Amino acid sequence: MIQSHLRRLVGSHAVAGYGFLLPWLIGFFFLAVGPSLISLYLAFTDFDLLTSPEWVGMANFERILTADAKFMASMRVTFMFVILSVPLKLALALIVAVALNKGLGGLSIYRAIFYLPSLLGASVAIAILWRQLFSGDGLVNMALEPFGIIGPSWISNPNYSLWTLVALSVWQFGAPMIIFLAGLRQIPADLYEAASLDGAGPWRQFRRITVPMITPVIFFNLIIQTIDAFKSFTPSFVISGGTGGPINSTLFYTLYLYQEAFGFFRMGYASALAWILLIIIAVFTALSFLSSRYWVHYDE
Amino acid sequence: MNDRSLWRIAIHAALIASSVLMLYPLLWMMAASVRPEAEIFSSGSLWPSDWSFQAYSRGWTLLGVGFGTFFSNSFIIAALSVAGNLFSCSLAAFAFARLEFPGKRIWFALMLVTLMLPSQVTLIPQYAMFFNLGWVNTFLPLVVPKFLAADAFFIFLMVQFFRGLPKELDEAAIMDGCSPWGIYWRILLPLSTPVLATAAIFTFIWTWDDFFAPLVYLSDIRNFTVTLGLRSFVDAAGESDWGAMFAMSILSLLPVMIFFLLFQKMLIEGIATTGMKR
Repeated sequence: MIQSHLRRLVGSHAVAGYGFLLPWLIGFFFLAVGPSLISLYLAFTDFDLLTSPEWVGMANFERILTADAKFMASMRVTFMFVILSVPLKLALALIVAVALNKGLGGLSIYRAIFYLPSLLGASVAIAILWRQLFSGDGLVNMALEPFGIIGPSWISNPNYSLWTLVALSVWQFGAPMIIFLAGLRQIPADLYEAASLDGAGPWRQFRRITVPMITPVIFFNLIIQTIDAFKSFTPSFVISGGTGGPINSTLFYTLYLYQEAFGFFRMGYASALAWILLIIIAVFTALSFLSSRYWVHYDE
Repeated sequence: MNDRSLWRIAIHAALIASSVLMLYPLLWMMAASVRPEAEIFSSGSLWPSDWSFQAYSRGWTLLGVGFGTFFSNSFIIAALSVAGNLFSCSLAAFAFARLEFPGKRIWFALMLVTLMLPSQVTLIPQYAMFFNLGWVNTFLPLVVPKFLAADAFFIFLMVQFFRGLPKELDEAAIMDGCSPWGIYWRILLPLSTPVLATAAIFTFIWTWDDFFAPLVYLSDIRNFTVTLGLRSFVDAAGESDWGAMFAMSILSLLPVMIFFLLFQKMLIEGIATTGMKR
């Protein structure tokens, strides 16, 4: 009786509720909803920031999808980057997590070392380091020299430049690895004991127990890392000096969007590009969720 | 020696080898920042033949405006961002986790939707708005959104934590005549130092490392953050002064490294429990 009375008292704070929510509500309307609607409108206009937007209908989208070679280049680069970096990064994260989960000792030290690049990797400093590592006379080629390999300048060769960015992304496998480790700990040990009594070797245990049991974590990491890869900006900007070169080979989608918006002040066009990015991310997320019922196993 | 311990040794060897491979570039950059310039492109060793901190003093002033200015700008922006996120996100999280009011579920759902919204979509209207307010080339566009809980991720993080605290606390406080503000300020916040610390550390690191927002909003070199300073450095020094460039890069990583060494456990737990991407 007293309990329910109290609960009603606690629960009768409509004014207080909105009071506490006020800063977020202001932000929600002025930084999220409002700008999203305006951005959608701008996507159908010519807008250079200084004069008022001019309605052009579907013209921006038509040009993007039919007559914009740089858009096509940036799409190709971005999709290549996502398709190469995300699976490699997640595979490495999973392998190392499984190795660390064997209870070998030294877990916290290894975990810290492998996590450090994730924490630093998005910084400009690391992008600068990467420029040196993969330059013609950089550390990578220094390391290859004793084997008689004279490496090219990886960052200024359009055949390899994207790979240096993939390497930078894979180097940061630590964060998904920690999430995998947390997932692996949830798997009951008796599953493995029963399997080894049945004579299942490590590989079989990995395939039949570990992988199915952590599909929810794989799913989660896949979505987070893919969205993040689509939105990646800093490394391609710093390593290519803001150009996306050589020959657009590192022109990430967000870099192209930035060039259009703040290099040429084609803000309407850039808004259209932003909505295409949103659609791509939304379609990817929707497809992932649709496919998940065929391969992600949740505990009932 | 049996199979099992051989296997363990093999795994340890592989893990140690990959740890070395992971850290080598970082350690080599540190060595490169203090070794003679000529050695940077000829030595892969981690031990300089000769130590000199000249690259640091050269780099510090190379752009005319010293790196001291960039560091204090970055610190101001990061500190204000931490204050803003802790203040606004904890207020919203308290409302979502502890108060009942009409429309709460809808607002909570909308808050989750904003988590999915790519920042590129709101970028241009936000820029136009800040431009018209005359805020471009000030710290305001970088800091004010934090006071309006624009990093909704931290609201979510705090809601999860607040929900774990016993509701009886609120009820007892109400019996004693405590207002919602009193519950928030005197009871919940003091019990929430773990989640507040996690939010503060991640906010600091992400703001410190942020490149895109400063690139878009700051144009006067005296307002530059460390990340922008480093970028201009690449343009100014080009491929000519790697020593100085590495020296400043190391300095720029220092605050994050210190946080890492001090709060490593908290950072890793934060990632493991919430699935943050980095």
